[in-house]
Amino acid sequence: MSGLARHLGVCAAILLMASPHAQAQTRAETLRQVTGNTVNTLDPNLPGSTREAFGMSMNVYDRLVSFERKPNGKGFIFDFDHLRPELAKSYEISPDGLTITFKLRPDATWHDGTPVTADDIKWSLDRVVSAKSLGPPQMQTGSLTSSSQFTIIDPMTVQVKLDKPDRLALPNLATVYAIMVNSKVARAHATDDDPWALQWLKDHEAGSGAYTVENFKPGENTILRRSETWKGSKDGSLPFFKRVIQQTVPEAATRANLLAKGDADISIDLQSSDVLEIEKAGKLKVISTPQFNAFTMVAFNTKVKPFDNLKVRQAITAALPYEDMFKAAIFGRGAKLFGADWTTSPPTGLFPQPMPAHTDLVAAKQLLTEAGFPDGFDTSFTYSVSSAQINDPVAALIKESLGKIGVRVDVQKVPDAQFGTLITEKKLAMFTDTAISWMASTDYFFRNFFTGNQRWNYASWNNQELVDTAQAARFEPDPVKYEVLAKKLITITAAEAPEAFLWQPSQDAVVLPTIEGYTYWFHRQVDYRDMSRK
Amino acid sequence: MTKSAAVLRLAGRRLAASLPALLGVVVFTFVLMRVLPGDPAVFFASGPSAGQKEIEDIRHQMGLDRSIPVQLAFYLRDIGTGSLGHSMTTGQPVLKDLEERLPASLELTFAALVLALGLAIPMGVLAALNPGSTTDHAVRFLCTLGVCVPTFVSGLLLIYVFYYLAGIAPDPTGRIDIFASQPPSHTGFLVIDSLIAGDFDAARSAASQLVLPAVTMALFVLAPLARMTRASMLAVLGSDFIRTARAMGLSRGRIVFVYALRNAALPVLTIAGIVFSTMLGANVLVEKVFSWPGVAAYALDALLATDYAPVQGFVLLMAVIFVFVNLLVDVLYGLADPRVNAA
Amino acid sequence: MSASGQTAHALYVLRANRISSAAAVLAVLLVLTAVFGPMLTQYDPLASDVAHALQPPDANHWAGTDQLGRDVLARVIAAGRLDYAIAAAAVFLSFVIGAVIGGACGFRGGAVDRWVGRIVDVLMAFPLFVLAMALVAALGNRVENIVTATAIINLPFYIRFARAEVAVRRQAGWVEAASASGNGPMRIVLGFLLPNVLPAMSVQISLNLGWAILNAAGLSFIGLGVHPPTPEWGIMVAEGARFITVGHWWLVAAPGLALMLSVLCFNLLGDGLRDMLDPRMRT
Repeated sequence: MSGLARHLGVCAAILLMASPHAQAQTRAETLRQVTGNTVNTLDPNLPGSTREAFGMSMNVYDRLVSFERKPNGKGFIFDFDHLRPELAKSYEISPDGLTITFKLRPDATWHDGTPVTADDIKWSLDRVVSAKSLGPPQMQTGSLTSSSQFTIIDPMTVQVKLDKPDRLALPNLATVYAIMVNSKVARAHATDDDPWALQWLKDHEAGSGAYTVENFKPGENTILRRSETWKGSKDGSLPFFKRVIQQTVPEAATRANLLAKGDADISIDLQSSDVLEIEKAGKLKVISTPQFNAFTMVAFNTKVKPFDNLKVRQAITAALPYEDMFKAAIFGRGAKLFGADWTTSPPTGLFPQPMPAHTDLVAAKQLLTEAGFPDGFDTSFTYSVSSAQINDPVAALIKESLGKIGVRVDVQKVPDAQFGTLITEKKLAMFTDTAISWMASTDYFFRNFFTGNQRWNYASWNNQELVDTAQAARFEPDPVKYEVLAKKLITITAAEAPEAFLWQPSQDAVVLPTIEGYTYWFHRQVDYRDMSRK
Repeated sequence: MTKSAAVLRLAGRRLAASLPALLGVVVFTFVLMRVLPGDPAVFFASGPSAGQKEIEDIRHQMGLDRSIPVQLAFYLRDIGTGSLGHSMTTGQPVLKDLEERLPASLELTFAALVLALGLAIPMGVLAALNPGSTTDHAVRFLCTLGVCVPTFVSGLLLIYVFYYLAGIAPDPTGRIDIFASQPPSHTGFLVIDSLIAGDFDAARSAASQLVLPAVTMALFVLAPLARMTRASMLAVLGSDFIRTARAMGLSRGRIVFVYALRNAALPVLTIAGIVFSTMLGANVLVEKVFSWPGVAAYALDALLATDYAPVQGFVLLMAVIFVFVNLLVDVLYGLADPRVNAA
Repeated sequence: MSASGQTAHALYVLRANRISSAAAVLAVLLVLTAVFGPMLTQYDPLASDVAHALQPPDANHWAGTDQLGRDVLARVIAAGRLDYAIAAAAVFLSFVIGAVIGGACGFRGGAVDRWVGRIVDVLMAFPLFVLAMALVAALGNRVENIVTATAIINLPFYIRFARAEVAVRRQAGWVEAASASGNGPMRIVLGFLLPNVLPAMSVQISLNLGWAILNAAGLSFIGLGVHPPTPEWGIMVAEGARFITVGHWWLVAAPGLALMLSVLCFNLLGDGLRDMLDPRMRT
C-alpha cells in the first residue's frame, strides 16, 4: 500500500503547512457558500467541467479583460456592453477593428511570485484556441481560431489580430475559458501527449487571480485563500474575504436550513419554494435576478411529424398553460417570455423578450383541426431528472392542458446523461430545457440556438432566411441596422414557432443580511472577489 | 491438525471459491453500464459550446470508440494492474476517490451498527425473557416501526428537529465541522485520527457529526438484529445446558448474561455481518441527505451522469467487502463453535 | 396436523398476538381503501387547480392540496393502488421465478444447481439498492421496470430459500411415494414440494411486500421513480419531505402515513406468520 502511505504523507504535509493559517482567519473573514453541485476541475477548459468549476476559475485565474458590473436591485449584474482591463493594464482597439493591443501590468505576478510576461500571455492565448478542450469552439464565436493571431510586440505588449471586425472578439477574452496561465509552471508539467498540461492543471492551479486554492476535494469542498499580491481588481484593492469555502450539500432543504441558522453565508441554488418562504420570513436577504442571458422553452422537433407542420406547432404554443406553469412551477420567480402584445414586429431587438403567445384552447383546437388532427395525436414530453423539481409540475400541467385539445402526452423523466444524448441525436419530439448564453447578444442567441445541425439547435430548425439574417447581424457594426436585423430574427421565430418560450428563471441568491456585493454573472456563479461582510 | 489451521484452510477455500462470483459481478456491472441509455461523451461535452468534435474527443479519451468486448478486456487488464479507471465527474482516478471516501462510509456504518447492536441486543434479550408479554410486543412494534420509515424521511426529519428547531445537532454537512482543521490521517476514521492527534475538539466535532446519520441508519436495521437476538436467545434458553445450569442453582443474571447470551451471540453475529455489508451499499440515501462524502453517494452521482468507471469500481469494492465480511463471520464462527473443527 | 387444527392454531396465535391481528385487520382495510378509495373522494387525483395550490387541510381538502392545487387525499388513495400493485407484482414475480428455479435446483442438484448457485452468489454480492438503481436507469424508469428491478434484487433470496426447503424434503417418504406412483419430477416439485414450502415462504413474501414499497420510494427520491403526474407514495413523500422546512407539513404527512402504515402492516404480518409457523411458539 505504498500509494496509500504516500497519500497519507502528502495529506499530513499539507495539513502541517495549512493548519497555522487556518486558525489565522476568523469566521467573519471567511465566506461559506453551500451548493448542490461541485467543482470537478480547476481548469475550466476541461470537457465535463461543471458550472461550479467555471465560477471557481473566475476567482483563481485572471483574464486579460473582464466585464464591468452595474447595480441591479439589491445586488449587481454584469454589464455585457462594458469591459475593463483585468490582468492587462490597458487595451486598445484599432479604428478598423482588426487589431487589439494589450499592455500588461509591470507589477503583476503569478501565484508563485514570478512576474507575468508577454510570453505567458501568448502561451495562454495559444492554449485556449489550440488545446483539445472547451475553449476553441467558444473562441471561434469571436473569430479567435489560431495561434498565429497572437503576437508578442515587446515584453509588456501582446497583439491580437482579426480577419473581420468581430463584435464578440473582446468579450470572448473575458469569458470563462480565456484563463491566463503561468506558462513556466504549466510547461514544466506538459508532456508530448498533453502539450497544454490539461491533465496537470485539472488538479493544480497556476494563475494570478485573487485567490489561491487551499484545498480541492471534488464532491466535498473547495477552499480558497486570498492572494495578497493580486493586482486585477478595478481599484487595486484586495477582496474582503481572506478565505472562501465552497461546500457541496446535495439536499436543497438542508442548504436552506444552513442559511436560516446563519451557518452558511450564501447559496444560489435553493428551491423556489424555500426562497419564497425565506423571503416571507424576511430574516435573510434574497437577491433575485431574472437570468437575462437565458431562456426556458418547450422545443418541438421540427424535423419529425407532426411538429414539421407549422399549424401543429402554433396549436401547441396556444395550448400551453403559461400562467399556471409560471405560478405553480417556479412560483412566479422569473421574467415571463410569453403574453406580449405585439403582432408583426417586436418593440426592441433585444433577445430573449416576451413573445406574443397566450393560452387559448379554442384557437389551439381550431389550428389542430386545420392541421389535419381534429382528434389530436400521441406525443411525448421529456425533461431531465436534475430539473425535476421545476419540470414535474410543468409536465403535469402540460399533459393536462394538451389533453383538453386531444393531444395525449406521455411524460418522460430521464437521467441527465440520457437527456443530453437524446437531444444531440434529435430523438425527442417535444421537451423542455433552459438555454444559457454567455454572450447576451441577439445574433449570438439565434446563431447558437436556432441554426445548424448541433445539439443546441433544440428544434432542429432550418430556416434559410433566419440563418442569413443572423450571419448578417454578426458582422454589422452599425447599431441601428443591427437593431433592424435583430427584430427580424425575433419576428421570424415568433411566426414559425420552433419553440414555445416560457420564462427566464430567476437566479435567487440567498445571503445573510450582512453579506454584500453579490453580482449576477454570465456564468451564473458566485464571484467572491467583490463580496464583503458588513 | 489444530483448529486454527483448519479454520484458515476453510477461509482460503472460501476466498478462492468467491473469485468467480467477483468476476461475475465485474462483468455484469460492466455490461449493465453499457446498456445505460445515455452517451457519457455527450453528457460530459455539454459545455455551452461543445460540438461534435469535442464529443468524439471525449469518447476517445474514455475509450468508448472501441467495441464492448475490447473495452471489457481493457478494463479487466486495468483491474489486474490495480487501476479502476478515471471518474469523469470528479476528474480523479476512481481508486483514489474510493480510497478517500471508503473510510467515511465505513466509519458511519460501524457507528450505526454499534448503535443498532447496543439497542437491539438488550431489547431482544428483554423480549426473549418474557415471550408473549407486552414488553415482547412493544419491542417488536418499536423495531418494526424503524423499518417503515424510508431513511431519507427519517433523516430529513431528524435534521429538521435536532438541527433546525432544537439547535442541538451540528450542521448536517459532512464528517467534521467545516471550519475545524482535519486531523492528520492515520486510519481514515476522523474520530480515531483526532484522538491520536490529541485534538479532542476535532474528535468531539467528528463524533457529533456522526450521531444523526448513524441514528437514521440504525433505526432502519434494529428490527432484524433484535428479532435474531430474541429468536436465538429463546432457542438457547430452552436448551438443555441452560436447564442444567438452572437446576444447579446458578443465578438468573449469570445464566442469562454469561451463558445464554454468549451462546446466542453467534447467529446475531451472522446477521450483523449481513446487515453491515448491506448497510454499506445501501447508504446512498443517508449519505445524500447528510452530505456525507461516502462511496455510495459517489456511485449514485456517477450513475446519474453515466460515468461508468466509478460505478463499476464501487460495485466491485462492495462485492469484495461482502466476500470478506462473510469470510470474517465464518472464521469467527469457526473459532467460536466447537462443532466446526478439523475433520 | 389436520386442517381444523391448523385453523385453531392460527386463531390461537392471532388471539395471543394482538399486534399481528391488528396488523391483519389494518392491512385488509388499507387494501380495501386502495380498491374502493376512488369512490370515497370527489376529487380527480390528476386535476390541477393552481389558484388553490398549497392549502393546508380543511373541510374541502382533508389532507390539503399540493403545489398544483391537486387534492392530496385523492392522490394518496390513487397512489395506494399503484404502490400495492408494484409491490405485489414484484414479489409475485420473484416468488414464482425463485420458487421454480430454486425448487428445480433443490430437487435435481448437479451441474445446473451449481451454476444457478454461482449466479445467485453474483447477485448476492451486489449492493442491492445500487443494483436496483442501475437496472431502472438502464431499462428506463417506467412502472414495469421498477417492478422488474425490485423482483430481480429479491430473486436470490427466493431461489436460496426454495432450494434449501426442497432439498431437505426431497428424500422424504411422501416424495418417494409420489415418485413411485408415476409422477414426473416437474409435477412433484410443483404439485407436492412447493405447496409444502409455501407457508414458510409466506413470511418472506409479507416482509418483501413492505420492502418493495420502500424500494420504490427510494427510487423516487433520487428521481428514478414513476413519471409525473402519476401519483405514487414514494414520489409524494420525497417531494413533500423537501417542503417540511417551509411548513407545508401536510404534503408529506398523508402519503408518509399511508406508506408507513402499509410497510408496518406487512412487516408485522410477516412476523405474525413466522410465529404461526414457528413450532417453538406453540409451547
